[in-house]
Amino acid sequence: MTTNWHETVVNLDDLWEGDMTAVKVDGEAVLLVNVDGDVHAYSNRCPHQASPLDEGDLDGQTLTCAKHLWEFNAVTGCGVNPDDARLKRFGCRVGDDGTISVDIGP
Amino acid sequence: MVVVGGGAAGAAAVAELRHHGFGGAITLVCGEDAVPYERPPLSKEFLLDAATTDGALHPPEWYEQHDIDLRLGTLATGLDPRAGSVALSDGTSVRYDRLLIAVGVRPRVIPGMDGDQILYLRTIGDAVRLRDRIRAAGHVAVLGGGFIGCEVAAAAIRLGKQATILEGLPSLLRRALPPVLGDVVAGIHAAEGVDVRTGQNVTGIRAGTGSVTVLTTAGEVECDLLVVGVGTVPNTGLAEQAGLAVGNGIEVDEYCATSIPGIYAAGDVAVQHLPGHPGPVRVEHHDSALRQGRAAARNMLGLGEPFADVHWFWSNQYEHSIQSAGICDLATGYVLRGSLTELSFSAFWLDGNQVRSVISLNRPRDVIDARRLIGAGHPVTAAHLSDDTIPLKRLARPQRAAADT
Repeated sequence: MTTNWHETVVNLDDLWEGDMTAVKVDGEAVLLVNVDGDVHAYSNRCPHQASPLDEGDLDGQTLTCAKHLWEFNAVTGCGVNPDDARLKRFGCRVGDDGTISVDIGP
Repeated sequence: MVVVGGGAAGAAAVAELRHHGFGGAITLVCGEDAVPYERPPLSKEFLLDAATTDGALHPPEWYEQHDIDLRLGTLATGLDPRAGSVALSDGTSVRYDRLLIAVGVRPRVIPGMDGDQILYLRTIGDAVRLRDRIRAAGHVAVLGGGFIGCEVAAAAIRLGKQATILEGLPSLLRRALPPVLGDVVAGIHAAEGVDVRTGQNVTGIRAGTGSVTVLTTAGEVECDLLVVGVGTVPNTGLAEQAGLAVGNGIEVDEYCATSIPGIYAAGDVAVQHLPGHPGPVRVEHHDSALRQGRAAARNMLGLGEPFADVHWFWSNQYEHSIQSAGICDLATGYVLRGSLTELSFSAFWLDGNQVRSVISLNRPRDVIDARRLIGAGHPVTAAHLSDDTIPLKRLARPQRAAADT
């Protein structure tokens, strides 16, 4: 499996629990969410109509897209409403110094 | 289970039935010859050829995978509640234990307003025709300053056409927005070059070859294409014939149940009596249709849940997003957050210290936050709502015993 890891400009110090932020990673629109201290990375494009998810709402574990209110579980990436959608996940890791890196794939 | 109507409510209902583990036979009767699809894009990105998906509510193979007997291009021609059966236009009939009628609405047609240059928009077939005709036109006029009219005018402008909006009332989107906010939308259209003609009543049309002249109380408008969006009529024929209670739609209670046990209705066609609302409510919005369809399905399964979802709709015009949550009497005053002139605001309607509804321009996050406040009992003050430095989210936090700083 080919990986394509990039360090982002986002540090864990800047991404508090319950927060999300959008960041460009090698041209890819990435959404970083911090749920209970764990950071997850997804494509910042809603699977419905590619709207930027960071313009929506993160409440606890629920990520809501502002465009048409599609809801996702921010931990699993699975659709809550509708339940047959899912977010596109990227590999994500946090370095010892808090630097967040994302694997945007091939 | 039989569902008549292949729109958002019907498609959502059959999915919800399977989601709750119903393993029995489900028949979905669709009048249109297309797999159930979303309507909202038809007056927006579809016209601009900018749709990123095919708009299907479920992929075509989903129905077979979930054992749904999907009958496309089929209408329900008769309903016999005592026999528990529905007669279909293909000559067959289906028996049901529970029936959901989600047959939606049809565009209100103005007598005499037909002809080659006059189009209505409801189905995907209409939208395909409209998309082609707008491209070929130089000047597109829309009759009706509602959502269809405004969205089509915006699409025409983005396609480089001349556009005119003809609205008899003094402001646009009058059924959804109070005049002050409707005027903000009119300003947006005017700034984009649309000739916004409010307060002008159309008295007739004169069809030419390749053009049509619209006669109004304030003069004539000549255009190449006239799109009519003057409201809808609920398709209550089937229900009425069968003896169901029908008013401005098929009458249902908060469980989506009609006047005949075992028969439910949802979506654009249903007019619902909800506790806490002074009058019956018939909503023609996509999100409400999905939610009501699901609620009807749960009630068909005996799960007995009243429909209590907060109504929500959106309209995209140019790069602007108009969204609204909740329902209330817009004639009362509102609290404003943000700025009308900067085209970024939320208007809240309160009942005492309770938020009842919100209308936002370009503030979708406000709407997401406000939805949590509506009907949830969180007390708010006008000062909080109008203060942009106080996050709305904070108003939905549980109350603390000690004072919060």
